[in-house]
Amino acid sequence: MSGVRLDLQEPLPVPETEGPPARRLDARAWARENLFSSKLNGVLTVVFGLLLAWVAYRMFRFVFVDARWEIIERNITNLLVYQFPRGELWRVWAALYVLAASVGFGVGAAGRRSSLAAEADGVPRQGRSMVLRRVGPLLVLVVVLLVFAQSLTATLLVAGVAATAVLFRVVGQRVPLRRARLASLLVLVGIAAAYLTITAFGGVPRDRWGGLLLTAFLAIGGIVISFPLGVLLALGRRSSFPAVRIVCTAYIELIRGVPLITILFMSAFALGFFLPPGSERPSAVTRALVALVFFTAAYVAEIVRGGLQGVPRGQLEAAQAIGLSPLKTTRLIVLPQALRNVIPALVGQFISLFKDTSLVFIVGLTELLAVAQNITKQSDFVAQGLFVETLIFAAFVYWAGSYWMSRESQRLETRLGVGVR
Amino acid sequence: MTEEALTAEATEAHGTGEPMIVIEDLSKWFGDFQALKDVDLVIGKQEVVVVCGPSGSGKSTLIRCINRLEQHDKGRIVVDGIELTNDLRNIQEIRREVGMVFQQFNLFPHLTVLENVTLAPRHVRRAAKAKANEAAMKQLERVRIPEQANKFPGQLSGGQQQRVAIARALAMEPKIMLFDEPTSALDPEMIKEVLEAMVDLAQSGMTMIVVTHEMGFAREVASRIVFMADGEIVEAGTPEHFFTNPREERTKQFLAQIL
Repeated sequence: MSGVRLDLQEPLPVPETEGPPARRLDARAWARENLFSSKLNGVLTVVFGLLLAWVAYRMFRFVFVDARWEIIERNITNLLVYQFPRGELWRVWAALYVLAASVGFGVGAAGRRSSLAAEADGVPRQGRSMVLRRVGPLLVLVVVLLVFAQSLTATLLVAGVAATAVLFRVVGQRVPLRRARLASLLVLVGIAAAYLTITAFGGVPRDRWGGLLLTAFLAIGGIVISFPLGVLLALGRRSSFPAVRIVCTAYIELIRGVPLITILFMSAFALGFFLPPGSERPSAVTRALVALVFFTAAYVAEIVRGGLQGVPRGQLEAAQAIGLSPLKTTRLIVLPQALRNVIPALVGQFISLFKDTSLVFIVGLTELLAVAQNITKQSDFVAQGLFVETLIFAAFVYWAGSYWMSRESQRLETRLGVGVR
Repeated sequence: MTEEALTAEATEAHGTGEPMIVIEDLSKWFGDFQALKDVDLVIGKQEVVVVCGPSGSGKSTLIRCINRLEQHDKGRIVVDGIELTNDLRNIQEIRREVGMVFQQFNLFPHLTVLENVTLAPRHVRRAAKAKANEAAMKQLERVRIPEQANKFPGQLSGGQQQRVAIARALAMEPKIMLFDEPTSALDPEMIKEVLEAMVDLAQSGMTMIVVTHEMGFAREVASRIVFMADGEIVEAGTPEHFFTNPREERTKQFLAQIL
C-alpha cells in the first residue's frame, strides 16, 4: 500500500462478499450436459422421450377425447356420499365449514410458534405461494370435483369453505394461544364437531354414509384413534412391568401376523364375542373402523418404538438429572423427539390406511371405490365398459389425498427440523 | 471409618466445616467388572473437588452414582444429610439438590434455550411461567448468553451449548454441581468460555465435583484434587501437593503423561 494515502474520514468500502461463481447454462448447453453427454445417453434420451410422449399422448387423448365422463357427472353425488339422504346434504356442507374453521384456526395458531423460532434464526417466513403449494393436491381435487358437479351452488359453497379456512387461519395467527399444543387439540374438537354436525340432532347416522364421505370418515377416524393407541402400545412394549410388556408385545405381533382382510372379516363376525352379552351388535361401519384401528395401531406401535429407540440415552439422563419424573420425561423429552423422527414412516402408514379403506367393501360397505364399481351397473351405463372412467376417477381421488398427506409430512419434517441441523 | 472421623477428614482437607457429600465404602460392578472399589470420599460445603485419572478409572461412574444415574452395589452415599436409597422420592429429592453437566451437553434439541432452562423449574418445582422465565434469564446472564434465549440448541456452538447446560442445571438452584468432563467434547477455542463460567460458579461458593483433564483449572480453582485409577482413589490432596509433591508412583506417571 506504499504511496497510497488513506483518507480516514471517508468510510472504507465494504469488500463485496464473494458468492459461488454464477453458473447459468442456456437451454442448449444444459441439454448437452444432462441429456446428451454421451452417445448412449443420447440414445436413451431419445428412446425414453418418445416413450413418454406416446404414453402422455394416449392418456391425454383418453381423458380429454375418448373417455365418457358422463357417468361421473351424473353420479358425482353418489360418488361423494352414495345413499346419504339428499335432504340432509346441508349437514355435510355445515360439517365442512366447521372443519375448515377449526383446521384453519389450528394451523394459524400452531404456525405462530414455529414462525417465531424461525424468525429468531433469520429464516424468512413462508410466503403465500408456499401455502398454495401446500394445499395444491387438494385444490386440484376440488377443482376436478367441481368441474364434474357443474353446479354454481356447490362452487360458491366451496369458495365459502376456503374463505372460512383462510379467515380462521388469520384469526389463529392473531389470537395468542398460551400453549401451542392446544391448537392441535382444537383441530380434534373441530373434527368431532363436524362429525356431530352430520349425525346429531336428528342427523344421519354413520351407517348410512357412503362414497367419499365414508372413505374420509374411516381414514380420519382411523388415524385419530389408532395414533394414540399405537403410541401407548409402543410405550407399553418398553414398559418395565412384565404384564404390560407381554400384553402389548403379544397384541402387536398377533395383529401384524394377520392380513387386514382377515381382521375385517373377524371384526364383522367375531366382535360380538368380546362385548358383554345382550349388548347390541355394532354396525358394519363401526366394525370396519374398529378393524382398521386395531390393524393400524399395531403398525404405528412398531414405528413409534423405532423412534423411541432412536432417542439418545443422554437425553434420558439429562431429564433424570434435572429431576423430571419418568412420566414427564416420556411426555416432554422422549416422545416429542421420537415422534419427530418417525414422521415419514407414520405418514406412510396413514397413507396406507387411507387406501386400505377401500377394502371395507368386503364387509358390505359402499365407500368410494365400491360406488365407482356399482355405478357401472346402472341401466344407463351397464355393459359399456365404463369401469375405466370410474376407476380412473377413484384412483385420482386416492392419489390426491395420498399425495397431499405426503407433502404435508415433508413440510412438517422441515418445520420441526428447525434448530436440529 | 466412623462419621466423626470422616467429618474430621473433611474438615482437615479444606477447613470449611460440615460435609456436603459423604461417600463410604462405595463399590459398583458392571457385570463382572468392578468399576469402583471401596471408595471413601468426603466433600465439604463450598469445596471444589477435581477428579482426574486415566480413562476407565471410575471417575465418571463415581459422580454418576451421586445422583443415581448409576446405582451403587455396596456402600453408602449421603448427600446433604439425605442418604441415597432405592426410594424414588429420596432419589428425586437428591436430584433436586444436585445439578449435573454432561460431556455431550445433552440439551433437549426440540426445545429452545429458554425452554431448556425453565423445564425443570416449571415441571418439577411447578414455578409459574413468568417467574421461571425471569429466573432462567438470570441464569443465562450468569453464563453470559442471554441473547441466545430463543434459539434452539442446534443453532449454538459447542461452548454456548455447554454454558446453556450449566444454566439449565443452575435453574434448579442446586447445592451441588457435578461436571462430567464438561470440556472434553469442545473445540479448543471454546474451552475457555466454559471454564470461565465454572470459575465464576466456584467463586460464588458452589460445592462442585469436576471430572476433567483441564489441569490449569484444577490448579487455579480446586480446593482438592482426587486422583483415581482402576476404581480406587490413589491419592488426594491440595493442588500444590498434587502437582509438586505427589506421593504415589501412579500419580507421578499420570502427571508425566498429561503435563
